[in-house]
Amino acid sequence: MSDDRSLIAVVDDDESVRESLPDLLRLCGFASRTFSSAEEFLASGCADDANCLILDIALPGMSGRELQRELKVRQHTVPIVFITAHWDEALRPRVLEQGAIECLSKPFSDTALLDAIQTALAAP
Amino acid sequence: MEGDLSETVDALPGLVWTAFPDGRAEFVNRGWREYTGLSLEQVSGAGWQAAVHPEDLPFLLDSWFTIIASAQPGEAQARLRRFDGVYRWFLFRASPMTDSAGQVIKWCGINTDIENHKRDEATSRANAQHFRLVVDMLPTRVILVTPAGELDHANRHTLEYSGMTAKEYKASWAAGELLHPDDRQTVAATISASLGSGMPYDGESRHTCANGIYRWLRVQGFPLHDEEGNIVLWLFLQTDIDDRKQADERLRKSAVQMTKAQQLSSCGSFCWCPETDGMSCSDELYRIFGVEPGTSVTLEMVTARVLPSDAHIVNKILEQAREGKELDCEYRIRLPDGSIRHVLMQAHAIHDPHGPVEYIGAVQDVTARRQSEDTLNSLQAELAHASRVDSLGALTASIAHEINQPLSGIVTNASTGMRMLNATPPDVEGALETLRRTLRDGHRASDVIARLRSMFKKEVLASVPVDLGEAALEVITLLRVEMLRKRISLQLDIAHDLPAVTGDRIQLQQVMLNLLMNAVEATRDVDDDQKQILLKIEREDATYARLTVTDSGVGFDLQHAVRLFDPFYTTKAGGLGVGLSVCRCIIDRHGGSLWASGTERSGATFAFRVPFGGNPAAAGESSLPGGNRQNADAAHTVRHL
Repeated sequence: MSDDRSLIAVVDDDESVRESLPDLLRLCGFASRTFSSAEEFLASGCADDANCLILDIALPGMSGRELQRELKVRQHTVPIVFITAHWDEALRPRVLEQGAIECLSKPFSDTALLDAIQTALAAP
Repeated sequence: MEGDLSETVDALPGLVWTAFPDGRAEFVNRGWREYTGLSLEQVSGAGWQAAVHPEDLPFLLDSWFTIIASAQPGEAQARLRRFDGVYRWFLFRASPMTDSAGQVIKWCGINTDIENHKRDEATSRANAQHFRLVVDMLPTRVILVTPAGELDHANRHTLEYSGMTAKEYKASWAAGELLHPDDRQTVAATISASLGSGMPYDGESRHTCANGIYRWLRVQGFPLHDEEGNIVLWLFLQTDIDDRKQADERLRKSAVQMTKAQQLSSCGSFCWCPETDGMSCSDELYRIFGVEPGTSVTLEMVTARVLPSDAHIVNKILEQAREGKELDCEYRIRLPDGSIRHVLMQAHAIHDPHGPVEYIGAVQDVTARRQSEDTLNSLQAELAHASRVDSLGALTASIAHEINQPLSGIVTNASTGMRMLNATPPDVEGALETLRRTLRDGHRASDVIARLRSMFKKEVLASVPVDLGEAALEVITLLRVEMLRKRISLQLDIAHDLPAVTGDRIQLQQVMLNLLMNAVEATRDVDDDQKQILLKIEREDATYARLTVTDSGVGFDLQHAVRLFDPFYTTKAGGLGVGLSVCRCIIDRHGGSLWASGTERSGATFAFRVPFGGNPAAAGESSLPGGNRQNADAAHTVRHL
């Protein structure tokens, strides 16, 4: 069936995030796909289709920030919303400088996430 | 000839004669006739010539006719034959008699016997010849110079050395070209001063030699006197000292380099003979000890500078020196200006079978190093603190991460569930699923906390045979430098026949480290020569090994002894007080006990006992390789560090 909903990709090695976020996104009118690693995401080709990427920073293998750089190299412009369980004051400005839409620390509220997704989708 | 005059002339006690203006003999006196044994008749005319030595006659006649032609007085020498056939040298002198018109009318002559004088002259000529020959044969460079400073003779060796002929040498001498241009002026001045004063000359100068290069010669000049004491000749002896000069120069250079190297390394050297207390020092050593270079140094001067608190170190070294041992120590000195230097002294004994022991040694100024070490140590302390803070930060971050992950799931699931229940119609099924996940993530978070708690609960993780002695030596290795630096004397008394204990080697070492560090800390305010720590490991009974650390430090108040092991109890200004309580926990978990004893005056003793692992004998067999069996003959090792 044809799907007009925006596609949100979620990359996080934590299973509870991969389980819970799709339900929330679906309720809010988004389609979603989940990946447990950056490599898996790159291999899927989803980068071409996704309208927004929710990306964990601490990933096994290629890290979230490395994926951000890699996508830039490959000239994918998918907007990124970072999520992280490590709270580091210095981190947020650095990833925003690199073009991320937002950087949310876990646990985050559903509204904060949805606001960030709306900003991402509105981005040119 | 007039009778009277003839008789008078005849009687003169000499050889007198007259001749006609043309040179023919007119008269010879009795002396003449008696000497030659010839009669007047035989002599007259040209007859007298028969008495002249045939070799001398042509010359004599030649001179005679020249005199006649000149009409002036004249003389010549020739040998005249005596009546017995012996020839003797005579000086023939002739003077003309003239008339009023100035015409020569007669020649008067007298012959003087100069045989003896002639002989002296010949002898002296032969002597001079002989002298030159000797000078020529001398296997060294000799030149003869007149009192006026002119070259008289350069011997064969000199000519060979300079690669010149006698003529060339003479010319070079006159032109002053034999010397290096830089030396000419000084040498000319000093030589002429010597020639003027008659004082012997002794100087060093550079002279050309055969291959055109200049070499250093030592030149010594001696005046030669005649019988009257006048200087007749100067003899100059020239000795090639170029090799020595170059060696001197090399020596000088290497001495300069050595001095520089010693300056750069702040390292002075010395030679010392304990028996005679003779000591020689390099300039740098004088500088290190703040002594005027060149001063004669005695042991007393050195020891007077040693800080009183380090005197025991130096005394110990002197004792070792008396036994001819290798010396190695570090001590502090106070300079006259009040500043304090740390010096490191090492000396090697040279045992000469025919003489007393001599030490050759080096003293290095390590003040700067010690100061930077102190700085470094305080930096390390700061760093250690920072890393503790940092690791606490890292720990917090890691705990936060572990908790935040499930929390994130809980929050998302809960909010999703709420949205589901708020929907029209409510999605109860979906909400139940989110609640189920919320519950699961909640348990997960609780698991994380439980895991953290177990991680921080101190349990004996490893249980292996531990050789307490070996474990202690490893800890001491860590502390050795610190103790040396703080001038603490550590004595070890480790029993060799101890079986291994069972437990966690690292944790037991942490306890030892803690006790030793406490002891080091306790001796901080004690005089240097009183800083002592004794580490003893022994068998307490069949079941327990005991380790005791005794210090000579400030001790502690007995009434506080009970509280010593309370967490956060401390007597140290900078301490956290956690150390001893943790130690006690570790030892407790090894099935042992830890205690303290001591008085306020005599320092403190901390000790723990831990049981041997299993069967003590079997445990002994399985103890770690090394230590035990190697020194089985000695029950204990007592060492001073």
